[in-house]
Amino acid sequence: MRRTLTAVLSAAALLSACSTAHKDDPAAPEPGALRVLASSELADMAPVLEQVRKDTGLRVRPTYMGTLDAVNLLASGRADGRYDAVWLSSDDYLRLRPEAARKVVSETPVMSSPVAVGVRTATVRALGWQPRNVTWSQVEKAVQDGRLTYGMTDPARSNSGFSTLISVASALSGAQSALTDADVAKATPRLKEFFQGQKLTSGSSGWLATAYKRRANVDALLNYESVLAGIPGLTVIRPKDGVVTADYPLSSLAGTGAATREEVRRLTEALRTPAIQRRITTTTHRRPVIPSVPPAPGLDTARRRELPFPGSRSVADGLLHSYENELRRPSRTVYVLDTSGSMDGDRLARLKRALTDLTGDFREREAVTLMPFGSGVKSVRTHVVDPADPKAGLDAIRADTGALSADGDTAIYTSLEKAYGHLGTDRDTFTSIVLMTDGENTTGAKAAEFDAFYRSLPAGRREIPVFPILFGDSDRKELSHIADLTGGRLFDARQGSLDGAFEEIRGYQ
Amino acid sequence: MLGSASTLHGVRRIVGIVLAVVLMGGVVAAVLAGREADDKGTATKTVRMVIGSEKAEYFADPAVVKALAAKGYTVKAETSGSWAMEGLDLKGYDLAFPSSQAPAVELAARHRVRGTLPRPFYSPLVVVAHRSAAQVLAANGLATLDTGHRGTVRMTALLDAARHDRTWQQLKGASKYGELSGTLFISSTDPESSNSGALYLAAASYVANGGRVVADRSGLDRTGPLLKKLVTVQGAQQTGSDAVFRDFVSGAGNPLVWVYESQVASLLAGGQKPDDLVVLYPDTTVDSDHTVVPLTDDGKALAELLSTDKELRRLAVRHGFRPQGDASEFATDTTYLRQRLTGVRQAPVPTSAVLHEMARRARG
Repeated sequence: MRRTLTAVLSAAALLSACSTAHKDDPAAPEPGALRVLASSELADMAPVLEQVRKDTGLRVRPTYMGTLDAVNLLASGRADGRYDAVWLSSDDYLRLRPEAARKVVSETPVMSSPVAVGVRTATVRALGWQPRNVTWSQVEKAVQDGRLTYGMTDPARSNSGFSTLISVASALSGAQSALTDADVAKATPRLKEFFQGQKLTSGSSGWLATAYKRRANVDALLNYESVLAGIPGLTVIRPKDGVVTADYPLSSLAGTGAATREEVRRLTEALRTPAIQRRITTTTHRRPVIPSVPPAPGLDTARRRELPFPGSRSVADGLLHSYENELRRPSRTVYVLDTSGSMDGDRLARLKRALTDLTGDFREREAVTLMPFGSGVKSVRTHVVDPADPKAGLDAIRADTGALSADGDTAIYTSLEKAYGHLGTDRDTFTSIVLMTDGENTTGAKAAEFDAFYRSLPAGRREIPVFPILFGDSDRKELSHIADLTGGRLFDARQGSLDGAFEEIRGYQ
Repeated sequence: MLGSASTLHGVRRIVGIVLAVVLMGGVVAAVLAGREADDKGTATKTVRMVIGSEKAEYFADPAVVKALAAKGYTVKAETSGSWAMEGLDLKGYDLAFPSSQAPAVELAARHRVRGTLPRPFYSPLVVVAHRSAAQVLAANGLATLDTGHRGTVRMTALLDAARHDRTWQQLKGASKYGELSGTLFISSTDPESSNSGALYLAAASYVANGGRVVADRSGLDRTGPLLKKLVTVQGAQQTGSDAVFRDFVSGAGNPLVWVYESQVASLLAGGQKPDDLVVLYPDTTVDSDHTVVPLTDDGKALAELLSTDKELRRLAVRHGFRPQGDASEFATDTTYLRQRLTGVRQAPVPTSAVLHEMARRARG
C-alpha cells in the first residue's frame, strides 16, 4: 500500500496550477515576476506580497501545492526551469530527500509558526485546563476519556498535518531526541488510541476550519498556531512538552541564473524588513524572525521545547505509512459515478483510467463502494482493502472499473439518496461520498427533493459530506449547491484532470 | 596524515563524490557586488573572486564597494560552499576566499600557490543560548557566566553529557523552564554541506581525542561514535548557518545553537540588544579563518588591501568579523561579546579529507 506520491504529481500540479489566479501556463517565464512554488498554506500571504510589490516592484507568481507534493516535484526534476524559487512551510522533509535538497541553493526563514491545539473555549473550561500548562499527555488523556474530539489535516498532503503527526508521535513516544523507528514502534498503541479521537480529516487547512464550524461535535483542531489564531472561539494551546515549528524558508534554486537568484535575495530581504514583518504577524498570526518586531498581540511568547524533526527518510515515511494504514480511522467511501450515455467513449475511458490509477492510493482497511449510475443506480459493489491481502480488494476494484459501460440518463439526486441509504453511521470510519458526473440531472429526484431528503436525515448521517467533481458538461451551480448543503467541497476536473481531482479528494477521506 | 595510502584514496574519492554532487547543483552564485562602482569609472581593475556565502553581504555592502573603488578596484564576487571550491575550475579568477583555513590550504596546494596565505579576518564559533538554558548549564557546572549575556561553555563536560544521553530534566533547576526537556544537545548545521556544522565536529573531535587533532583512521574510529551521537540526536539539520541563527532569534528551535560569532556581532552592530540571548564561548573552539588563496598578483594585492586598509577593516567589524591583529577594533560593547579571546583554546581543524570523512560517518 505504501507508494510515493510521485506518480500522481503531474496531475496534482496541473490541478493546483488551475487554482491560482493565472489561467495561462503558470510556469511560462514572465519578465518582472518570480515564479514561486509555494505551500498551499501560504495563500494567506497575498496582501503582504502585494505590499512588497508596491515597495520594491518585485512581483510573485505563486503556484500553490501541498508541501510533500512540492518536494516530490522537485526531486523528480520536473520543477527545473519552471520555477524561480521554492517557498515551503518547512524544508525539513525536503532535507530528507537528497534529490530534492540538491536543487536548493540557499534557504532563508521568513516567519514561523508552531503546531498547536485549538480548543473550543467551553471545552477548555469543562476540562479544567490552564492553557499555558497543557501537555500532549493531557490531550491524550482527554481523548481517552472521550472528552475531546478533534480534526486535523491529512499528513500525506498537508504540512500542517505532517508536523502535527511528528509532534504527537515525538511527545507520546517519550523520545528524548529525534524520533527513531524504535520510538515509533513503541508508541504505536498509544498513537492508535490518540487518533481514535480524530473525527475530521482534510486535505487543506482552509476546509478544515469550514468543516469544524459545521460540526458541533468536534471540540478541537490540531494545526499551525497561525491557522488556529484566525478561527474565532478557539483557545490556542501550544503543548508544554514540545512542538514542531514551521519556519517558511524562501529558497533559491540551483538551476536558476545569477540574476534570478539576486531577485530572490531581494525578495527575501524585502520580506524581512521591520514593516513587512509587522504586517506578517498582524495579518497572518505567524511569528516574525527579526528581534526588533514582537509577535502580534495574543501570540504567547513563553518558550516551548522544539521537538526535533526525524533525521532520516525511513522514520518520516514510516510514520506517515503507519498513520495512513494503521493509526488513523479507516475511510469508508462511496463513489457515485456517472456512466450515463454521454460518458461513452473518451470520457468513460478517462474515468476508468483515473479510477484504476487511484487504486494505488487506497489505504489498508479502507472500504470502497462503487455505485455507477445512469437512469438509476446500476450496481452497488463494496470492496475492503484487507491488510492481510490488499491486492485482492484492489484487483476487484480494478475489475469492476474495467466492466463499467455507458448508457442511460443522468439521475444524480436519486443516486445520491441511494448512497446515503447505503452508508451507516459507523463511528470508527471517515465516511464520505464522491460524486462524479459529466452532465446535469435529467431524471429521478429533483434538487429540491434531495434537499428535503438530506434535511430529514438523522444528525449522524448529515455529517457525511459529498465531494462533487466537475467534469465534462456538469453544472457548477448544481454541484456546488450539493457540496455546500452536505459540507463537502467542489473539485474541478475540467481544467485539471480527473486523476488530479480524485487524488486531491483523498486528503478529505 | 592518514594511516595508509588506501584509506587516503578512499577518503579522497568520497570527497570527490561529495563535491561532484554539490557542483552539479551549480552552487556558484554571482553576487552582483561592485555594480555601483562599475558606473563611476574611477575603478580601474576588476578582480574576480569566489567567496564563502557568509561574506557576500560584506562585499555587497555599498560602503565596501565604495572603499574598494577608492583604491581602484571593482570586485566581482561569486559565492560557493567553502568545501566545494576545491572542485571548481578557478581559471580566470584572481582569488578564492573560503571561510576556513583548511580548504584554503587544500586549494593552495592544488593551484600551486606558495607563501603565507593572508587571513584578513576571522570569527570564532560560539554557542548562542536562551537565558534559561545558559543559567541551567551554569548551575550544573557545564558553563560559567561572566555577565547576563556572556559566558563560557565547558566542552569536556558538554561532550560527557552527550556521551551519557543526559537530558535537561536530569539537570537541577531545569524544571522551572517548561521548554528545557529532552536530550541536552547543541544544534548545528549539516556538517556534510555546511562549514559551521563541520567546524562543530572539528572542535568536538579535538576535545574527544584528548586535545589532539584527529588525523588518521584510528582517530576517526575513536571519536566516531560520539560525533555520530552529536549529529543524530538533532534529527533533520539545516544546511545554512543563517537559517539556524534566524530560527534561534525568532524563538523557535533548540535553546543551544552553534553559530559564527560574526552572526551575533552583525546583529548587535545593527543596534539590536536581544534580551533572551546569551553568547557562550566554548573553552575549546575553532576559528573560522577567512583565508585568501591569491591566484594572481591582483588577487594578492586585494588581499593585502583587505588586511591593511583601515576603512575596510572597520567595515569588516561592522559585519561582525574580527580583523587580524589589534583586538581593540572589535566589540566596543562587551555585554554579549568578548573583545579578546584570551582563555579560549583554538583547536586546529583536521585536513579537508579527514573532516569530510568525519562528517560522512557522523551523518551516516
